[in-house]
Amino acid sequence: MNGIGDEPKDFIKLSEEKLSADAVSALVISPCCGAVSLFIGTTRNNFDGRRVKQLEYEAYAPMVEVEIKKICTNIRLKWPSVKHIAIHHRLGTVPISEASVIVAISSPHRAESLDAVQYCINTLKATVPIWKKEVYEEEYSWKENKECFWAKTVK
Amino acid sequence: MTCEVIVLYFARSADLAGVRTETISVPQQLTSLQLWDEIVKRHSRLAAIQDQVVFAVRQEYVLLGDQLLVLHTGDEIAIIPPVSGG
Repeated sequence: MNGIGDEPKDFIKLSEEKLSADAVSALVISPCCGAVSLFIGTTRNNFDGRRVKQLEYEAYAPMVEVEIKKICTNIRLKWPSVKHIAIHHRLGTVPISEASVIVAISSPHRAESLDAVQYCINTLKATVPIWKKEVYEEEYSWKENKECFWAKTVK
Repeated sequence: MTCEVIVLYFARSADLAGVRTETISVPQQLTSLQLWDEIVKRHSRLAAIQDQVVFAVRQEYVLLGDQLLVLHTGDEIAIIPPVSGG
């Protein structure tokens, strides 16, 4: 049962500011839920043995919103007991070890929110128009998620 | 009949085109592959990523191929290289 006055909400945000796991998880807290599941994607300092200085993200912002709303709609179809969904993605320069994405989902019991978080981040990586540039000491490379079906990177 | 559409370039496609946004004149009806060819005529370096790119036409994904597009002046066409969010 949904708690009165706590209708399901989707919180979607792109930000150049540092992301806060506390702030994102606070958005989805609900008195009728016993679970908040959280995923934090952080930036790594190495790729294929090369030192990564920083990552730079860019986005087709208005379409990001459209694609993330589709993910939220599908989460609610697959797991109807899910209460609130919050997805924050950082853009611009993200220093090593800081969060680039945070997903928080609440549900009455843990199984639904845990599954929904996994689905959410996997689908985000496959369909949402955001790009990551890895900056090394003297060059850079545009990354391609393996989940993206039109990526044809030979690995 | 032609129309003026806004083309947005992202990530590697922006590096190759050397521009992030421009307005171009294209036929109102053409396939997505013909639209790609129009864009490559302006930025030949984009040919390198033809098999690793899709369009977003009015914010909906469209693959390069036979799909007929009906465009109007002011429509937004984005060049979408493989995404890497997260």
